[in-house]
Amino acid sequence: MGAPRRLGRALLGGVLRMAPRESRDWAGAMLGELDFIEGEWAALFWALGSMTAVVRHAAGGWRAWLNRRSQQEEGMNTTGKRALGVGLGMLSALALVGCAFAVLRILGILFPGLEHSPWAYWLAVMAIPETIFVAATVMLWRKKGPLAAGILATGLVMALHVAVHLTLHW
Amino acid sequence: MKLRLSPQTLLVLDAFLQQPEEWKYGYDLSRGTGLKSGTLYPILMRMAERKLLETAWEAGEPGKPPRHMYRFTPDGLRFARANAAAHAGGGLGQVALGLVAPGPVGG
Repeated sequence: MGAPRRLGRALLGGVLRMAPRESRDWAGAMLGELDFIEGEWAALFWALGSMTAVVRHAAGGWRAWLNRRSQQEEGMNTTGKRALGVGLGMLSALALVGCAFAVLRILGILFPGLEHSPWAYWLAVMAIPETIFVAATVMLWRKKGPLAAGILATGLVMALHVAVHLTLHW
Repeated sequence: MKLRLSPQTLLVLDAFLQQPEEWKYGYDLSRGTGLKSGTLYPILMRMAERKLLETAWEAGEPGKPPRHMYRFTPDGLRFARANAAAHAGGGLGQVALGLVAPGPVGG
């Protein structure tokens, strides 16, 4: 199996693992076809197209879920709305960290050895996400306070985790 | 049963109509219609959601992954045939893409 097909398999496999339950069957179907595709680059392009299809399918599900939530939200009190905002902020921040891990894995496949470099790890998983968290918190604080608080809380927990790690190991 | 009949959807319906009883694989459909996976699969998903297609997993040979297969449901076949009749004179997709002039409709 050549590198383009391997990369395609890794990318689509990653999407399959992260996809919601209703999209997982389809992602598996597209992944299953990869071994039958003639040509290494054709297999990579198949995987890239498939990723788009899965993300669009999942996005449809998330849109429906958000619509249902916003309908429920209308009947909620202020505390409920704030709690929901904080929860969504935390989820978004965790999704960003998940994406950072995925990018690091992809870079590790493309450039073997990079994944084990501590600098690449700190940059991809800590420095960049933390910078985005701070920027998002500042931008959202006035208009979407609870969402910003959720993002900030996740960023603080991550920073605390790193501080504890550094204290114990260095 | 609403399904947006884009030229690409008509190509897929056309491909299934060639041998409507047979199960088909995604990659074979892609090769037959010339559609990329990012275009083909959303169409298959919509058709399956609207119960126009049934899907099944084929147990693969040892060492090979199982494959997802598709074929028309009775509703799907009726739907495709009704559209084929409306576009009589050329393949559904070919007419939709302007490759073949549509034949006269009716009588």
